[in-house]
Amino acid sequence: MSSPLILLPGDDVPADYLPSNASAPLRLGTGLRLLSQPNPTPASTPSNHVLTATQAGILSTDNRRNAVSILPSSNRRYIPTPGDLVVAQVHHSSADYFHCMITPQSPHALLGQLSFEGATKKTRPMLRGGDLLYARVLSTGLGAGTEVELTCVNPATGKAEPGGLGPLNGGMVFDISTGMAARLIRASSSSSDQEDGVAGLVVLDELGKKLEKAGGFEIAVGRNGKVWVDCSNSEEDAVKATVAIGRCLTTIDEHNLNPTDQRKLVTKVLRDMKIES
Amino acid sequence: MMGGPIASLHPLSRADGSASYKCPSTGSNVLGSVNAPVELPGRRDALKPEDATIEVFVKPGTAPSGVGERYVEGILRGALSRIVLGREKGYPRRGVVITLAILGGESIGRGGSYLPLLPALLHTSILALLSASVPLSMSLSATMLAVNPSGEIVRKPSITDARAAASLHVLAFTSKGHLLLSESEGRFNFDTWDKVYENALAVCHGTSTLSSDGDVAMTENMDTQPLEGFVRDTVEDHIRAEYAWKVDAA
Repeated sequence: MSSPLILLPGDDVPADYLPSNASAPLRLGTGLRLLSQPNPTPASTPSNHVLTATQAGILSTDNRRNAVSILPSSNRRYIPTPGDLVVAQVHHSSADYFHCMITPQSPHALLGQLSFEGATKKTRPMLRGGDLLYARVLSTGLGAGTEVELTCVNPATGKAEPGGLGPLNGGMVFDISTGMAARLIRASSSSSDQEDGVAGLVVLDELGKKLEKAGGFEIAVGRNGKVWVDCSNSEEDAVKATVAIGRCLTTIDEHNLNPTDQRKLVTKVLRDMKIES
Repeated sequence: MMGGPIASLHPLSRADGSASYKCPSTGSNVLGSVNAPVELPGRRDALKPEDATIEVFVKPGTAPSGVGERYVEGILRGALSRIVLGREKGYPRRGVVITLAILGGESIGRGGSYLPLLPALLHTSILALLSASVPLSMSLSATMLAVNPSGEIVRKPSITDARAAASLHVLAFTSKGHLLLSESEGRFNFDTWDKVYENALAVCHGTSTLSSDGDVAMTENMDTQPLEGFVRDTVEDHIRAEYAWKVDAA
């Protein structure tokens, strides 16, 4: 496949861009719909089906999963989908639930008091308003006015899967765009030896190398456009390093920096903050 | 000849989608924002339980909005509701709120004609809807044409041309070439309207002429590109810039 294909609403997806895996059914992702064209000669063949875009964006295909979708604008608002990892903030707590904020404009999401690893009626985390959580979206309900439910545990196994779900202590949260959050999740979940990194991001690898001596850092990326960063291992530099990481991520997001500029930025920010690397 | 229109996508950071658009001939400058899907206040959703509710607000730059704005809001809502797919996942019972602020250009007095502003308002709304990733069946482009008292058709009329015209016409076409909106004002006959339609289609989509070798060539007999191509280029440029990390890597 050549250069990425940009589609506008109403454009048909050319057949040669679709995954050629004929064994499994084609999965349609966001921004695409199936239309059947009325056939001029109805007797001969059944109606033709075409895939049409409903959003403007780059066509993205996944040959392994036989899926095709349109990548949305990176600045779009976060809309919860089941399975997403989010950084949520507890607003208040009630008898059965913690009421959490995922995005400031949406109604509170519910997190069961017992939806934590190893939680029972006697031993459960006591969270207060303002506490941060790393959680997974369990369900979003159907239609308008329904509640979003979160969980910090895999209901099938009773374990916090993947690791790290649960309350986030210390650290600091930075706001990034939802597109950047998706890229960071891809970049941090798969490490590659490529020069350009995964999804065009080398910032995490670069920061990891430079901050290794200072004690490393922890990061939790939420699909809702929030990143939690903590450097509690690096004693006296903890605050400085946290702010430096946040500054790197937000600047890269804002200016859409390429890998070379990302490396330069990391060096510059760490030098400005007087963190030795 | 003045240059083409100027547009930018996503100038506002807090709205779900936004666009600004400046029309060179009428000088109108519009900033639009789209928020979708949003929860509707009250029980307005119950009127159309399977569809999204589209709300359009037009805010004049210097005056409080009045009956003229309500009228043009109705026109915009009618045209846009034909291309917004309000039954897609997450949209039924929710609202698509489009706010259009008129920043510059000739202000329209009470009772004045809104037609000169209509193409700019339509272009701003479609670009903002595209930037908000609202599901659409197709995109649109619109133009205004004036017919002067001697019966000639004036493309891209200025405000002065529009004042002197015998009739004014605003036509909008979808990206597939269907007529989406036709608003006219003044005295004219059907032959004039037919000519206006041909001209408007050429401005929006270019004219397809059959060349000698039988190929259909899209030529522009104007010194600017067709408006449909302008909308497409604006959006594609924005996406290319946003996904530079992906486009450059491929």
